[in-house]
Order: sequence, then structure tokens, then C-alpha cells
Amino acid sequence: MLSIAPKVKATVAGYLFIAPALVGFLLFYAWPAARAVGISFTDWNLLSEPVYVGLDNYAEMIQDEQFWNGMKLSALYVLLNIPLQTVLGLFLAVAMDRLTKSLFVKATVLLPYLLSNVLVALIWLWMLDPLLGIVNAMLALVGISPQAFLGDPEQALISIAAINIWRHMGLVAMLFLAGLQTIPKYLYESAALEGASEWRMFTRITLPLLRPVMVFVLVTSVTGSFQIFDTIAVTTSGGPLDSTRVIVYYIIQNAFSFYKMGYASAMSVTLCMVMLVYTLFQMHILRASESDLA
Amino acid sequence: MLVVTVFPLLVVLKTSLVNSSELFDTATDLLPTSPTVVNYEKVLGLLTTEEAIVNGGSGANINILRALLNSAIFTGVIVVVQTFNCTLAAYAFARMRFPGSKILFGAFVASMMVPAVVIMIPNFVFVRDLGLLDTRAGTVAPYVLMHGFSVFFLRQFFLSLPKEVEEAARIDGANPFVIFLKIALPLSWAPIMTIATLTMINMWNEFLWPFLVAKDPAMQTLPVALQSFRSQTPQGQPDWSGLMAATVIATLPTLAMLFVFGRRIVESVQFTGGK
Amino acid sequence: MKTKPIITSALAIALATQAFAGEIKYSLWDSNQMPAYQQCAADFMAQNPGIKITINQSGWDDYWTALSTGFVSGTAPDVFTNHLAKYPEFVKNNLLVDLSDYIERDKVDAGQYRQGLYQIWGKDGKQYGLPKDWDTIAMLVNMDMAKAAGVTLDELNNMTWNPKDGGSFEQIVKKLTLDKNGHNAMSPAFEPNEVVTYGYQTPGSGNMMGQTEWSHFAVSSGFRFQDAPWDGNFHYDSPELASTIDYLASLADRHLSADFKRTQSLGSDAMFIAKKVAIIPQGSWMITYFNNSAKFNNQWVPLPIGPNGKRATTFNGLADSIWTGSKNKEESWLWVKYLGSSACQSVVAERGVVFPAIKGLAERAIEVQKGHGVDSSAFLIMAESETFLPPIANNGSRIAEIMDKAIQSVFLGRSTAEKALSSANKKIIKLNR
Repeated sequence: MLSIAPKVKATVAGYLFIAPALVGFLLFYAWPAARAVGISFTDWNLLSEPVYVGLDNYAEMIQDEQFWNGMKLSALYVLLNIPLQTVLGLFLAVAMDRLTKSLFVKATVLLPYLLSNVLVALIWLWMLDPLLGIVNAMLALVGISPQAFLGDPEQALISIAAINIWRHMGLVAMLFLAGLQTIPKYLYESAALEGASEWRMFTRITLPLLRPVMVFVLVTSVTGSFQIFDTIAVTTSGGPLDSTRVIVYYIIQNAFSFYKMGYASAMSVTLCMVMLVYTLFQMHILRASESDLA
Repeated sequence: MLVVTVFPLLVVLKTSLVNSSELFDTATDLLPTSPTVVNYEKVLGLLTTEEAIVNGGSGANINILRALLNSAIFTGVIVVVQTFNCTLAAYAFARMRFPGSKILFGAFVASMMVPAVVIMIPNFVFVRDLGLLDTRAGTVAPYVLMHGFSVFFLRQFFLSLPKEVEEAARIDGANPFVIFLKIALPLSWAPIMTIATLTMINMWNEFLWPFLVAKDPAMQTLPVALQSFRSQTPQGQPDWSGLMAATVIATLPTLAMLFVFGRRIVESVQFTGGK
Repeated sequence: MKTKPIITSALAIALATQAFAGEIKYSLWDSNQMPAYQQCAADFMAQNPGIKITINQSGWDDYWTALSTGFVSGTAPDVFTNHLAKYPEFVKNNLLVDLSDYIERDKVDAGQYRQGLYQIWGKDGKQYGLPKDWDTIAMLVNMDMAKAAGVTLDELNNMTWNPKDGGSFEQIVKKLTLDKNGHNAMSPAFEPNEVVTYGYQTPGSGNMMGQTEWSHFAVSSGFRFQDAPWDGNFHYDSPELASTIDYLASLADRHLSADFKRTQSLGSDAMFIAKKVAIIPQGSWMITYFNNSAKFNNQWVPLPIGPNGKRATTFNGLADSIWTGSKNKEESWLWVKYLGSSACQSVVAERGVVFPAIKGLAERAIEVQKGHGVDSSAFLIMAESETFLPPIANNGSRIAEIMDKAIQSVFLGRSTAEKALSSANKKIIKLNR
């Protein structure tokens, strides 16, 4: 009896401690996740009762060009966004590591990230305006004809990627900078003594030792980037034509403009599966990188 | 680099000081030729509807001070309550042994991986059924109780904390909550502040959920109010100079935070990345 | 049978003695009209001390999404400004109160409204809105530019148009299109890549209505949206529409209009004010705006006479509707009735912002505008020409999206009008089957 009592007590205490978080988890994560699957089997506009339609929504989805277009655009967006953002962030970090430790500089570099997506999108929407924007005015100074940027189906997604590179570059640089500062200085000193070039030191010392940070940056930024929504809602609303109608935008549009809750849920559940597969794949790489450094 | 960061903000500032009727002629100027504060008066609601319209605004102005207040309440409530709940849970997962703790912790961590859009639709339906759309409670609901990353992050911290003092207190018969409050919490201010800072940044900027559930101008947070102001195309085009004045005002709290808590913010951001 | 009038009059007495209480939320999208309706609300509240009207205004896109969210969440406004392209979906989902019983009980005279405006808000004996105002389309001309180009007001008032050579409209547009050396598009020295002012600017794709963009051109060459309101069998694939859209796209190809993709963020109105374009089509709801904003000589002129020998214009009528979920339906009705009465519509006429629905008040609005130095009679000329309604059908928001993309793809040079429109029409017919 005596041996059970403390155990029960510990269990009660444990559950009391996690109770608020557990309620939040069950109500706003676990249950909705399950419910999303349920809704995906229905036809429901929120005004009338949901009608069970089995796999109809999934069948519709597979034949929906716009769904595939959205998936493709999201993936394309990641490719436009991540590599450049990571490289720029890395070089910025290296430059800061060499040149300055000033908090003011760090804070300034980080500033765009602290402004909301909406704010940043507004700022650039104005700067990139084809007729009044300062960017075209500056291009004109170097003899480049005005560009439509967000108004051109060929350029819109690229422009949005550029906007987000501007917002995230400083954050990525900060993360790399933290990583750089953990690299022991004597490694560079001894390499310099052996006459290694700057580039060689960068590729042989800096890059390999930054790998854990690199993995972290990529894991978080790729999943975030695949779910881009805010900037598009402010700047292009999915247009011109469908050139920026990425998957999350298309899902939200179906759910909250057309009130096709079932169809939107079917697409979101599918998106979740895709992300899950991707995350597992990435964790595989992550683990590989950890053992690499051990 | 600093130029790249700061230049757009200067363009915004300049635009906000130009009367909307002069925008076309001054688009490429770097300084306003005849600066005016009329745009600020407009977005702060100091002009009558008719004056605002004459000055290129929409009739119903963005009430930016109300949006700032809404954002402050939204962010403040979530930062305090969520961080507290997550600290409690993280402590339990690190220190207490109870059946199901491993599975539950795993589930919490897994919740980070679920794309927001998946749970957004059922959550919208749920909050609607509770009658909480367009209310503060409905707007904070999905965030306020827990956040997977915060629990994960704080648990890792508690695991690294030596437990001797707590063990001693337990032998003295102190109850777990007292131990947590009196011993563990004082030792954990730094990581708690880190996570609170990050939560603050994220929530201050949160858009999609408040955008879906808080359509009522009285409840709109800052990003939502800005977006709805942008889609106010009073005469077929956004009121750019007014919008830029609103943008400047919306940027001020961030600048002030950065000015006061600069070190803390920079370190918080770096700290999580290093983990 | 005999009991009905008794009940009605009993009700009327009960109502007359009952003190109303409650808050009515009212929504509209046009910020230009806010001051007029704030005045109406103040007058109404003075007469009905128990009722408080709160007016909420949001931009066109936000307006409709917020309204939909309101419907599904039970927080929609009690009374709101309704649009012909949108209301069929609301009727289908049973969101609009049928006003016919109230109208009968309170003996509201449907004949007081301008011809046709009352009927378009009814279906199968039910009435879903009370008319508030109407609008037509005309063209706005920068007269300083016209004068410099030697184009007279008389020529502008009597323009003709056809999709083949553009008629006198195109001649005028060419004269008004200037390159940086001041050569117009008629001149052999004209440099098409160096245009500083364009002759004409189409505002946008116009989605399913083409209200200011293409409907007038297309209808005056024989196009019809549908055979009757509520008919799901659309005619967007007609050759008349295709040739109109191709013609409008060709204006940009020939550098008489700015490139479509570079105009979309700013819009044709802003270009007109910035003196980058000489002629734009616009609706009567914009009269006051241009009077305030365009600081140069400008003049509203009727739309060109089309291939069928007539001018044509979208004749759009807005109405106020009550949401079925309103908790204060009786008070809402009182407000709608007031909005549809000459008391409120006179206030609107005095502001000269839009043309009120009640007969004779549009003429009053035109007088007021004349007092402000604006000649808006072109809109009245248009109202007396061949008028047509915007399309009325279910699934409006989906149709609008399909048509928006189809026409954009033509304007962006991605597709021919014939191909884009026939495939869009197939999708739309399938949607409404």
C-alpha cells in the first residue's frame, strides 16, 4: 500500500502540472487534426449540415489542376527562397563575425524579421509598384526599363521570394553567427600558420563545423517556406492568373472564400501527409549529420 | 547591408510625409518636398470622414491605436499564460515520472510538425460553435494553453538543471508545486525569458488565425487591421500615403522593443538556433 | 381570408405603440457614401430614439468575405448594401429576409423607384431588397489633353466604336496618345516604346460583369450575358465578346493603352489623375472622387455608339437587404424602409455622390454636381440609352474568379479571347448545372 501511494501522488501531480497544456493540446491540436480528416469526407458549407461524401473530395482533388499547381508553386517557392536566403545569411554572418560585434549592427540586421509579414509585404508592395515604386525609379537610373514585378505572372513569385529573403536574411545570419562563435579560434590560427587561404579555411573549417546550425536553419525554414501565405494575401492574392496561388493560399481560399470546408480539409490533410513524409526524410538526414559530428 | 535593411524603411517614412495628391510627382524623390502630417492625422482618426476622403483616404479610417491595443492584449495574454503553462508542463516532463508522460511529450513535440492550415479549419468551426468568433477569447484560444516548441525547449533546459536541491526539498516534504515555484522557477528565468521573447515576436506578427476569426474592426490585431486597410481601395487604389503612415506607426513598437530589449531579443533568437 | 387585414392592422397598431429598442448594424462598401449615410442614420435615430444604428464600412473585397464569415458565424450585420452579382447566392442559402410582407403591410410604393430597379431584387413573388441607388457608366476625358490634340467636346460626345477599326473612338485615342517627343500615334514619327500619355486605359479584367471594362462595347455589338436573370446558361463564349476583348487587348499591343500587368497595382483612376492617360471609362459613383482629385479640366462624356447604332451601359441598382439571422428584424425593416424613402435618398441626392433610386432625385443629384462644377449629365444620357443588368446567377463568386482569369490571360497575352472565353464558359455552365 505504502509503495503505491507515492506513485499515485506523483501521477496526480504530474497530470496537474501538464493539465493546462494537455487541455490545449487535446482541444486545439489533437482533436482538430482528427476532425480535419472527418470533415474531409464531407460536403459542408457551414450553413447547412455536412453531407457524407466518402472519398469524393480526394477524387476531385486529384483531378484538380489548381491543386497540383498550388503544390508545384509551393515547392518552387521553397527553391526560389531558401538557397539564396541561406547563402546570403551565411555570408552576412561571416562578414559580421569578422568586422563587428556591435549590438547595434546585430539589432539592425535582425529588424526586418521583427516586423510582421504583413508590414513587410506592404512596404515592398509600395516599393515594387510598377509606376510609382522607388525600385523601378532606381532601375531607370541604370538604364533598365520598368518591371511589373508583382503584376507579372513571370515575376510575381520571384518578387515574393525576394521580399521574404529580405525579411529572413538577418535572422539566418544571426543563427549562423551564433554557430560561428562556437568555432574555436585556434583552428583558424593554426590553419593560417600553414598558409591556408581564406576560402580554404571557409570550406574546410567553417562550413563543416556549421553543419548542425545549417541543418537547423534548413529544417525550420523549408517547412515554414512551404506554408507561405501572409505575403501573398497582402501582395497578389494568388494572381496574376494563378502564378502565386500556392497550396496554402488555395486551401484557405476554398475554405474561407468558397466555404468548401470538406474540399479544403481534404487538401490540407494531404498537405499534412506530404509534410510528414518530408519531415521524416529530413530527420533522417539530421540524425546522419549528428552522428557525423560525434 | 545596413542600407539594404534600413533603406526601405526610409522610403516608407518619406512616403508617409507626402500628401497623396503629390505621390505621382514625387515618387522618385528621396526627400519629401513639402512634408505634411495629414496622413498621420488621418490614420489616427483626427480628421472627419469628409476631410479624410478629400485627402485621399477612405471614409472609415484604420483605427490604428485600437489595433495596437488589440495586438498588445493578444500578445500579452498569450505570452504570459502560454509561457506559464508550458513551463509547468516542461517541468513535469523533465522531472516527474507518471504513466503516459513519454507518449504525451512525444505527441506535444509532434504537434509542432502539423501545418497550421490543417488544424485551422476545424479550429475555426470549433470557435464558431462556441460562439467566440470576433471575441478576444476566440482569437487567443488556440495559442493560449500550449505551444509544442516552448514545452520542448524548456524541458531540454530543465533536464540540464542539477536536481540535487530539488531532491533535498522533496525529502523535506515540500510539495511539487512549492518546489517548482520556490526552487526550479528562480533558476530558470533566463530560458523562460528567451521563450517568452520569441513567443512575443511571433504573436505580435501572427496573421492568419486572427485574420480568419477577428473580422470585426473592434477586435482586429495590427497585422489584420493593416491588411484590411490595404484592401480599402477608396478610389480603386490603396491610399498609399495613409498606408505608409500606418506602417510607420506600426513599426514604432517594434523599434522601441528593439531599443529597450535589443540584447535580449538578439540573444533569444540566437540561442534557439544554437540548440 | 377576412382575418388577414384585421391582423395586419392590429399589428400596425401594436407596432405604432411599441417602443423599439436595439442596435442595428449596417454595412456598406463605398467610403465615399459614408457621410451621406451617417447623416441618414442621425436623422433616423432622432425619429426613433430607441434604435441605434452603427455603420461599418470596409473595402469591396473585404466587405464580401467579412459578410460571408458573418453569415456562417452568426455575426453578420442586420442590414447591408447588396449587389446584384452577389445576392443570388445569399437567396439560395436562405440568408435574406423576404421583405414582401413588410412592404405590403406598410404600403411601400414600389412605383416610386426608377423603372426596373425594384423588380430586379425580386424572385418568385419574394422581395429581397429595397432599391437605394443606381449607376451607369460614362467616359472621363482630360480636356486639357483633348484641347491640345485638337479634339472637340462635340467629337467626344458623339464617338462611335466597332471591334474592327475602332471607329472614331480609336481615332481620338490615337490623337491623344503621345510619345516623349510629343508625336501622337497618328504620326509616322511616333515612337511606340516611348509613350508618356496613353489615349485610353481599360481598368482591369472586369471579371464576370465587365461593368466599366467591356460590357458596354460587347453589348452594343450584340453580346448578351444570359437569356434571363437567374439563367445559368451563360454566353461568354459568344464571338461578340471575344472580338471586344481582343480589341481591348490590342490597344495595349499597339501602345495606345499601358501594358496590363503594369497598371494593375495602381489602376486606371490613379493613372488618369497622374495625367498618364487621357480617357478612362468609369461609373457614376466616382463623380465626386474625380471632382476632388483631378486638378485639371475634365469632362464626362457618353460611351461611344456601338456597331448596333446605340450606346449601351450596365445599369446597376443597389439595394439594402436584411439578414435572416438578425435579432431585430422589425427595427431592421424600419431602417431599410427609411433608407429606401425619399427622406434619406434626398440627403444622398444633396451630397451628389450617387444617383438615388427614387424617381426625380437623380436629376437633383446632377444639379448639385453642377453646383460643384461637374457636368454629369452623360450618365443620364447613358441611363436613357440601351441599358442592361449585370448577370444574376448562382455561384457568383466562382463565376467571377473563372472570368477574371480568362480575361486576364487574354490581356497578358497568354491566350486568345476565343479560346479563353469558350473554355471559361464551359466551366461556368458546368458549375450552374
